[in-house]
Amino acid sequence: MKRSVGQILGRTGIRIPLILWTIAVLYPIFWMFLGSFKSNAEIYRNPWGIPDSFNIQNFVTAWSNYNIDISVFNSLVVTLVGACLTLILSIPTAYAIERIHFRGSKLLFTLYVSAMMIPMVLGWIPLFFLLMKLNLLDNIFGLAIVYAVSQLPFSIFVLTSFISTIPKSLEESAAMDGMSPYRVLWKIITPLSLSGIITVTIMNAIQFWNEYFMALIFLQSSENYTLALAIDYISSEAQYTNAWGTLFASLVIAIVPVIILYAIFQQRIAKGMTEGAIKG
Amino acid sequence: MVQSKKQKYLFLAFCLVPTFIMFAIFTLYPLFSGLYYSFFDWSGASQHKEFVGLANYISLLKDAIIPDTIIHDYFLVATKVIGIMILAMFFAVALTQLKIKEAPFYRIVFFFPNIMSVVVIGILWTFIYNPNLGLINSGLEFLGLESFAKPWLGDENWALPSLVLPSIWAGIGLFLLMLMGGIANVSKSYYEAAEIDGASQWQQFWKVTLPLVWPQIKISVLYIVITTLNGSFIIVQVMTGGGPNNATHVMGSYLYQQAFVQYNFGYGATIGVMILILSLLTVLILQFFMRREKVEY
Repeated sequence: MKRSVGQILGRTGIRIPLILWTIAVLYPIFWMFLGSFKSNAEIYRNPWGIPDSFNIQNFVTAWSNYNIDISVFNSLVVTLVGACLTLILSIPTAYAIERIHFRGSKLLFTLYVSAMMIPMVLGWIPLFFLLMKLNLLDNIFGLAIVYAVSQLPFSIFVLTSFISTIPKSLEESAAMDGMSPYRVLWKIITPLSLSGIITVTIMNAIQFWNEYFMALIFLQSSENYTLALAIDYISSEAQYTNAWGTLFASLVIAIVPVIILYAIFQQRIAKGMTEGAIKG
Repeated sequence: MVQSKKQKYLFLAFCLVPTFIMFAIFTLYPLFSGLYYSFFDWSGASQHKEFVGLANYISLLKDAIIPDTIIHDYFLVATKVIGIMILAMFFAVALTQLKIKEAPFYRIVFFFPNIMSVVVIGILWTFIYNPNLGLINSGLEFLGLESFAKPWLGDENWALPSLVLPSIWAGIGLFLLMLMGGIANVSKSYYEAAEIDGASQWQQFWKVTLPLVWPQIKISVLYIVITTLNGSFIIVQVMTGGGPNNATHVMGSYLYQQAFVQYNFGYGATIGVMILILSLLTVLILQFFMRREKVEY
């Protein structure tokens, strides 16, 4: 009995750091939402409290005066095109590596997977000139291609493990019925690995939506800015104009889609990321 | 499967070749030509590309900023590994062993910053460190510790340590989940046996939990090291841009400045080669030291 009293005390004690860290995580995020409704004067007067009124002026300013509308559109295009292209490129390769016996399949898989550990920053210099030659520099479709290829290793890695769980007998009987391998891939493998495809696509989409550095290097004119670049620009402007409210509003615009995806797919995202890390 | 050899190879080519061509063009080729560029003096205009042999590598060794950037990178690696592993391990044990009812809530909250954009994290934390309005200075004032308040990111001594907290804040959730996965796989009977032998909670942690989740710890540490060495410059770029007075430049941000701000592309590539070599070496060395006999009871 003595022990259980101690355990109850212990459990209460253990909650304190857990609650403190919860506050440390949530407060800045809540505060960003609150700040997006405050006028600049109010941010200076009352930076950390509840706003007087929920004024959407900051969102209107960000949307129309700071070209956030254009960069949201650009980010959406890059995210969607990038995510689709990644799937088109990774599903057939994942299937071939996992199911078709050919010499060098192990080697090819290792090559793709080890690319996850290589610092790509070295490649960005030549990539810059390559995109220039291909007329894809300062072009959101060029950026989408670069994004798609950068997520190939991760996508192939996760998809092969999903495809390996599909029973072989299904493909075999389909082939017996005279189905071509192309149709097997399209009609049997793709639908059956849908769960893996969804996981990979969500992970890639969040990655592309959030990405900053490659966009910084490969995009130049403001009408091509993705959301991350537009926010970075507003942030550096705000040092002089003190337009913090607008900055918060643009941060909220950037984070809301991620929160929604996380709310729906929380378990998939967590599982996808841990699996992606464990391959190491 | 009933199909001819030729058909099989055609299908194989259909599956593999387009993907591999894209991968070769946009990943392999840039990496190898990055190596090649490091032997040239090149400002971007193709007619002025001049082969200089090892000259870039010699100036790399003479560059006074380079050792600082390396030290800064390894400072971030060390502080992040220690900070994240201690906190993540503590939370993982708390959430798995103590049967807290609301554990999923904490797990979901702690993980969220992992999927936030570095830009959002960086700007949020720049504001938390803001000298006048920021949470940290306001908090210190509230506690009557005004003397400790400082312009964190503008202070040469404090700017780099200030970058550690956002990285830990943003990184912890993933490693929490990895460690929790490891602990969940440890059979309950080990703890019961330890309990019968009279082992305290603390002893159970050191003798049972730690050795049995060693594989997860090893993977987590390696992952933190790789992602920091390959990506620490992103948060640096957003929060300080390498300043004040180069106090926060890491290898990657210095590469960006040399190549894309000052147009020394050859020299930038040389820094890139250095990052590649250092991060591969570090991983190899770490893997050697973290080798451990697999523990089985």
